[in-house]
Amino acid sequence: MPLAHRAVLGELLLREWRERYQGSLAGGAWLLLQPLLQLLVLAFVFGSLLPARVATADLAFPVFLALGLFPWLLFANAVNRGTTSYLDHAGLIARVPLPPSLYVHARVLASVLIDGLGLLLVLLVLLLGFGLRPTLAGLVAALAAIAVLALFALALARIAALLQVFVRDCAALVGQLLGLGFFLTPVLYERAQLPAAFAGVLALNPLAAPIEALRHGLSGHAAVPWMALAVSALLALLLLLGSLALQRRAGRHLEDFL
Amino acid sequence: MSPALVEVEGLAKRYPAVGARGDRIAALWQLLRGRSPGREIEVLSGIDLRIARGESMAVIGENGAGKSTLLKLITGTLTPSTGMVRRHGRIGALLELGAGFHPEHSGRDNVRMAAAIHGLAGAALAAKLPEIEDFAGIGRYFDEPVKHYSSGMVVRLGFAVIAATRPDLLITDEVLAVGDERFQKKCIRWIDGYLADGGTLLLVSHSLYHVRKLCRQAIWLHEGRIAAQGEAQAVAQAYETWLEERDRDEGSAAPAGRPEFHVERLELVGNHGAVLEAGASLVIEAGLRGPPGERPHLLVGLVRADGTPVYGVSSEMDEVALAADPADPAAWRIRLHFPALALLPGRYRVRAHAMDPEALRLFDTVERDFELRGPARELGLVRLPHHWERP
Repeated sequence: MPLAHRAVLGELLLREWRERYQGSLAGGAWLLLQPLLQLLVLAFVFGSLLPARVATADLAFPVFLALGLFPWLLFANAVNRGTTSYLDHAGLIARVPLPPSLYVHARVLASVLIDGLGLLLVLLVLLLGFGLRPTLAGLVAALAAIAVLALFALALARIAALLQVFVRDCAALVGQLLGLGFFLTPVLYERAQLPAAFAGVLALNPLAAPIEALRHGLSGHAAVPWMALAVSALLALLLLLGSLALQRRAGRHLEDFL
Repeated sequence: MSPALVEVEGLAKRYPAVGARGDRIAALWQLLRGRSPGREIEVLSGIDLRIARGESMAVIGENGAGKSTLLKLITGTLTPSTGMVRRHGRIGALLELGAGFHPEHSGRDNVRMAAAIHGLAGAALAAKLPEIEDFAGIGRYFDEPVKHYSSGMVVRLGFAVIAATRPDLLITDEVLAVGDERFQKKCIRWIDGYLADGGTLLLVSHSLYHVRKLCRQAIWLHEGRIAAQGEAQAVAQAYETWLEERDRDEGSAAPAGRPEFHVERLELVGNHGAVLEAGASLVIEAGLRGPPGERPHLLVGLVRADGTPVYGVSSEMDEVALAADPADPAAWRIRLHFPALALLPGRYRVRAHAMDPEALRLFDTVERDFELRGPARELGLVRLPHHWERP
């Protein structure tokens, strides 16, 4: 990457941080407040009101949930925010000759970094307060899982952002699909506790592997699905290649459609 | 020949037509199949251009001639449909009034971003920041969000960044039209210095004054093609002549079919030779026609023979109604008196325009030349009432 692009990327990242928290009273505290509130609500609804299918003998439900919810949010926020990258930067794209995908990359990277920081803080709390003692292999699995999720987010955001330039319905659709994906990914429940038929079908969701790898790796209450994680990583890479091909075809005259 | 900073060959740009609902998705489908996106509108074609280092070039032409599109293609924010643009230096561009500032972020943050785009970051930027702040001269607004800026302040900030980064090629699009006079002068001074130091300028301007002052070369774009190219003075002259001719043609061209309201008759009463003594009265009589029963208004203008406007007034402004012709409901008449006309001797022209009953639309133009004769040593157009006093 040329030096100028790196400086611009740095500025874009700073800008993302400001956009999220500047002007709000709590500022960076929202980094934790927002997901914690979400965790609280979900833990109450699916822990007490409508108990989800989890074997929480060795793991409190909020902890189980946190280990699924935060990586999911990391993925979903990045895709969601990445989708409108080109439209949000239309002013710059029209006036400054930079490769437009830089804006998507900055969005996704900023989102992953910010949510990754939140995830790290949550993990520290879990380590200190709830006696979570992951092994080294478990930590590696968690890191790999985050990387796979981030890769998926990047590929999907690149595709969605490009489509959004042509068809403005895309962002709304992405929002809906992410809502659906939340329930089709084992965030609230444990796949092993589902009827075998459902569990098998849901295993086809490539996001299931990283979520489970992170949760199992850190809690140690089940084996890390290394094989499935590798397959997911491969799929993410293929998707990224697909997004590059799409960019080559449809991205040549991007600015004409903004 | 000095080395080229920009070389443009066979450049053309077509925009996809995306007015209708299905256009965008259809264009996407075409692009995915590796074809050009469906219906297109050509805005620029057959452009060959070479900008050498140290040159100053203006792009002139009417609105919609393709000037901004050409600048964007040269800057690289648009991709050519055909042809190619080769760049050999650092380009700093102020396109569409501003450097792509984000309205929600402060001037300082936007400057950091714009500077980063020009390759200025870190310690080098920190050293330049006071200079940029000073050049922009917008005071405490520097730390306010750009959405609170006036358009002049946005341009000031954008120009300040450019001034600090000193690109090899400076591209500006109507920037000078926005700032106030003091800032304009500052910009022009800066550009003068920049050019004297070997900088290269590509400028779009509707101000032929700026074109002549700042540029040695010019190209005139007309409907997406180069109409003339060469020395700025000559190209600006050709463009000006063309503009005048077009305006004159529009004014006197026989309309296709008579307009709804029109001036049928225009006379200088009692002056068949159209020669008056300076200081005499001028009486103009006009006969107008229009749809029966719809009373038109008359607009009369006095201009000097070279087209300089002297005075214009309409019956609507003075709240006067044209007289109806009892025999013909479609005909109207009026006389306008200028007692003791204060114009200085010279050749003049009366212009009469028919207007609709609301005096909103101008329909046609009929002219009569006349000459004012007499001795006068005063200067100008009109004798203003005055007296001298010895205090």
